[in-house]
Amino acid sequence: MASKVGKVISLSRRSFLKFVGGASLVGVTLNLSGCGEPITPDKAIGGNGWMPTQYNAPGNWPTSVRGRVPIDPENPAIVRDDQKCILCGQCIEVCEKIQSVFGNYELPIKKEFVCVNCGQCIQWCPSGAISERDDVNKVFKALADPNVTVVVQTAPATRIGLGEEFGMPVGTNVQGKQVAALRKLGFDVVFDTNFTADLTIMEEGTELVKRVTGELHHPIPQMTSCCPGWVKFVEYFYPELIPNLSSAKSPQQMEGALIKTYFAEKKEVDPKKIFSVSIMPCTAKKFECQRPEMNSASKELNDSNVSPDVDVVLTTRELARMIKRTGIDFSSLPEEEYDKLMGTGTGAGVIFGTTGGVMEAAVRSAYYLITGQQPPVALWNLTPVRGMQGVKEAAVNIPGVGDIKVAVISGLANARKVMDQMKAGNAPWAFMEIMACPGGCEYGGGQPRASSPPSDEDRNRRAASLYNIDAKAKLRNSHDNPEIKQIYADFLTAPMSEKAEELLHTHYVSRADDFIPKKSEENKLY
Amino acid sequence: MELVTTVVSRAGAKMSSVRWKFRMTPMRWVFTGIASAAIAVILVRFVLGLGATTNLNDQWPWGLWISFDVLLGVALAGGGYGTALIVYVLRRDKFYPIARSAMLTSLLGYIVVVLGLLIEVGQWFNFWRPYVSWGHASVLFEVFWCISCYTVIQILEFCEVGTEKVFKGAHKYLKKAMPVMLIIGITLPTLHQSSLGQLFYLMVGKVNPLWWTAFLPVFFLLSSFFVGAGMIVIESTLAGKALNHKVEIPVLRGLVKISAGAMILYLMLKITDMVVRGTFANAFAFDLPSIMFLSELTFGVIIPIIIAFSSLSSTRKGLIWFGILTVSGVIMNRFDVLFTGMGKYLNQYGGSYVPAVSEFIVSLGLVSIACLAYLFLAENFNILGNHGSEHADDIEIKDGKYASTAK
Amino acid sequence: MAKGVLVDIPKCIGCESCSVACKLWNELEWDEQEKNKTAIDRAKEPNNGLWPEEWTSINRYDPEKDGESVARYVKAQCMHCEDPACVSSCFSKAFQKLPEGPVIYDQSLCVGCRYCMMACPFDVLRYEWKKAIPGVRKCQMCATRVANNQETACTSVCPTGAIIFGDRDQLLAEAKKRIKENGYVDRVFGEKEAGGTSWLYISDTPFEQMRFRTDVTTKPLPSYTEGYMKATPFVGVGWAAILAGLYVFNNKGKEPLD
Repeated sequence: MASKVGKVISLSRRSFLKFVGGASLVGVTLNLSGCGEPITPDKAIGGNGWMPTQYNAPGNWPTSVRGRVPIDPENPAIVRDDQKCILCGQCIEVCEKIQSVFGNYELPIKKEFVCVNCGQCIQWCPSGAISERDDVNKVFKALADPNVTVVVQTAPATRIGLGEEFGMPVGTNVQGKQVAALRKLGFDVVFDTNFTADLTIMEEGTELVKRVTGELHHPIPQMTSCCPGWVKFVEYFYPELIPNLSSAKSPQQMEGALIKTYFAEKKEVDPKKIFSVSIMPCTAKKFECQRPEMNSASKELNDSNVSPDVDVVLTTRELARMIKRTGIDFSSLPEEEYDKLMGTGTGAGVIFGTTGGVMEAAVRSAYYLITGQQPPVALWNLTPVRGMQGVKEAAVNIPGVGDIKVAVISGLANARKVMDQMKAGNAPWAFMEIMACPGGCEYGGGQPRASSPPSDEDRNRRAASLYNIDAKAKLRNSHDNPEIKQIYADFLTAPMSEKAEELLHTHYVSRADDFIPKKSEENKLY
Repeated sequence: MELVTTVVSRAGAKMSSVRWKFRMTPMRWVFTGIASAAIAVILVRFVLGLGATTNLNDQWPWGLWISFDVLLGVALAGGGYGTALIVYVLRRDKFYPIARSAMLTSLLGYIVVVLGLLIEVGQWFNFWRPYVSWGHASVLFEVFWCISCYTVIQILEFCEVGTEKVFKGAHKYLKKAMPVMLIIGITLPTLHQSSLGQLFYLMVGKVNPLWWTAFLPVFFLLSSFFVGAGMIVIESTLAGKALNHKVEIPVLRGLVKISAGAMILYLMLKITDMVVRGTFANAFAFDLPSIMFLSELTFGVIIPIIIAFSSLSSTRKGLIWFGILTVSGVIMNRFDVLFTGMGKYLNQYGGSYVPAVSEFIVSLGLVSIACLAYLFLAENFNILGNHGSEHADDIEIKDGKYASTAK
Repeated sequence: MAKGVLVDIPKCIGCESCSVACKLWNELEWDEQEKNKTAIDRAKEPNNGLWPEEWTSINRYDPEKDGESVARYVKAQCMHCEDPACVSSCFSKAFQKLPEGPVIYDQSLCVGCRYCMMACPFDVLRYEWKKAIPGVRKCQMCATRVANNQETACTSVCPTGAIIFGDRDQLLAEAKKRIKENGYVDRVFGEKEAGGTSWLYISDTPFEQMRFRTDVTTKPLPSYTEGYMKATPFVGVGWAAILAGLYVFNNKGKEPLD
């Protein structure tokens, strides 16, 4: 028994020593390996990533600015995928410097973000983080519903943009293929917004003549209202200039209102079962179609079940997405024609898609409205209002009236300068065309994104394509459009008639209370 | 259904003479069932993480496992150090019969706490970090050191009992070390029992003022002391039923009276604390915290005091009621500090915490494991001091020394 | 020199550049669910927009200003206390306050007890509940950048200067100047809160309406347990001595128990 006990002791002593020795060794090792040492910044979690400063390499894209513009999650037109954002600051650059929106309000903000929905930030975003709000599924749903007549209209500028999405050179005219693709997608009726562009010229031209002659007590210069980004810009920053805006709706909204009234009446379709889609080069149009005023058909028909004049606006990019998703081979599509009734446009209508186009079209028809004669050939190529300069001026001699001075502006920062000049009382013009996006709709926020940053080179190629369509057009004056003549004869009686006022004209609201305007130049945001 | 398991150790010829027995009863099957379920959940927890097995969230980083397994486990296992103090240090020999049983409960309690903690913490494999990376400003640092050291001490203390049966050679050395272990074994729990309370003192403005006080450590310490008697009463009753062993009433009654003395001190301190901090209005606001606070004091402290100092405590029924009320009172108190006390703050922006079923399973499972272990050890070692069963003679024959140490 | 960040709440336009910068620099994962939440959604949720992979969040509140409801965007993240509760509560020293200001966390030292989360006076710590081996997550104030004389990722991309990085003392003076000039609420949140924080907030609308814990103690939180911890060794040794004395005294001349 004693020997056994002795064994047990020696065993336990040895193992005890082993244990103690082992434990101390472990302790020493752990201490050497850094446990118990104060932790250093590099031990902290995170901090091994990437920052925009590291992106500061020389290149095409100006990279000095960082951060980004605020985008309301409720914004009807523009959304951003944070995951793709690299904080390069291009959106700030374009929004502040080119569109003069960001940074032109005092902080703190009141409730909403100031945004004119122009979508130029989408074009400038190098990582594709900013994009239009995708409404494709709404359209697919309507197309799948056999009880719904889906009517679509296409803006002047989409036909020279859509091809780029399918690998065609910049500015390729794909008007016929676009119509064919829309039919293939299942749209029941395909109309052309060029038609209402012509109609806009009639309404706006008549309004201008009435302003000039004093028949209408509205101030001169008259400013165009085709561009919803520009309209919202005036409502925000220059509410006192709202009376200068033409009361005529944009072509999109005219077409929309007429689809649910004129078309419905002519083709005996229930306006409640019409789903009106428009394909636009523009994101602001998504906002425009949701404005409460843009509900004329419902008002005219006195039926609250009729949906807004335009139900959904798709950008050129979204149409391309629909075509791709459906698996249509776009480039091999045949050329097709627009449907009649509201599908015919003139050369004057198609150049609405570029800066100066509305002015050129208006001048052609104004000549006719004032003199009762066809405009001279010189007015079919009004070079002073063509090109990519931000502010262009021209004087057009119209017999009996003399020189009419006009101005053409694109880009809201340019517009801001001219508006400030106007407020100072220095506005020698009778008529002004203003487009929010530099270059006009052809480089609108909804057009295909180029691989390079937006450039005047691309803008010129797209514009040239539009002018080429105009040059080759059989009819080049809005007032010559047979469907225009028909609609006035059958439905609207005359420009600015009571019915035309109701369906084709609108009013604007001041948004000055949404924010505090910037007080002075030195109060820049950064 | 009765099963007698005989494990014959193959370690050596010396061990072959030791017989282990464990009789399975329906209750023990239930325990085994719960324990298996808990082990399954624990495995899931280790593979998939805490989110998959608990309802804990960023508002409620501490939930049932901390409050039940740790706060409560430590408190309820507090009977061990109290008894050790009374019996070994103060030499109230009358309570010796319950000493070993109380200390075993305490040991098992602490093992459950440690197991519970290993399951509860996120990086369990890092449990040793505080030994080398000293976060000595943390109250938890003290709790950690004390609990881990105390668990080791308790294991050694139990080894003193264990070596009566196995590894008998080590017995006399352990016995010699006993006084030192006892002193450390009383010092450590007094430190960490109070520290558990102090943990919550850092949550300034988060805990309801009814519970948040500078006296938190004292309250935790005192309540862990007086709950010991309650636990011993309940445990001896249950063990008495299961193992056919009853502790004499005068022993328990004496213990209950000591415990009630601590309760009076506790109550007086509570009242003083309320007067000093002016929380009387809160206590009698009769909203949820106030009701919880009052019932915790009334049922958990005041009524047990009355029982202890009246003739009620001379009956087994009275003693059991004392035990049940005291233990429930402390359970309530620990839950109140965390759940009722912090509920309003942690839920102020819509946070919520209701323990998941899996959390209950693990908590109950750990208790079941402890119960099974207690039953096994009590049946096989000299814990209860008196083996009423037929196997006792058996062992006494095999080991002559045994009879003399067992009083 | 202790660094800090000044958040001028009225200057925030809610672009959330800061939270994207945080994601980029710290390589935090994008979560589809979190990505689709708006600043309004985040302000309402219990987590305040902060998650293990979202170390900072812009939350929108609609407080009152001159009787009118206005929108305010508030950046939430770790406040980086001068004397942090998380550092003092960590028993394995996984947290540390750097002299430059950041309060950093090293997961390799973390046991995972989550006492830090309970102790944090601003409830900004988040836990990786979904992971099998989880850690605490919170803003590290770009510790490596700050230690390298760079500014934090979030401040470096703020387009309006709503968050600016600098020496805490100077920022505090700047904050007080702005309060006076702009008629803000006369309080720099973070000057004294929880004993002072590296992040400072100023606002023109009441802090209470923007989910700030305005009733937080102004004493450094570690001071609440400091005395207790310092006394512990002495109490422990003293108590053991008393016990030993009693043991010897009571056992004198008696048979030892077992």
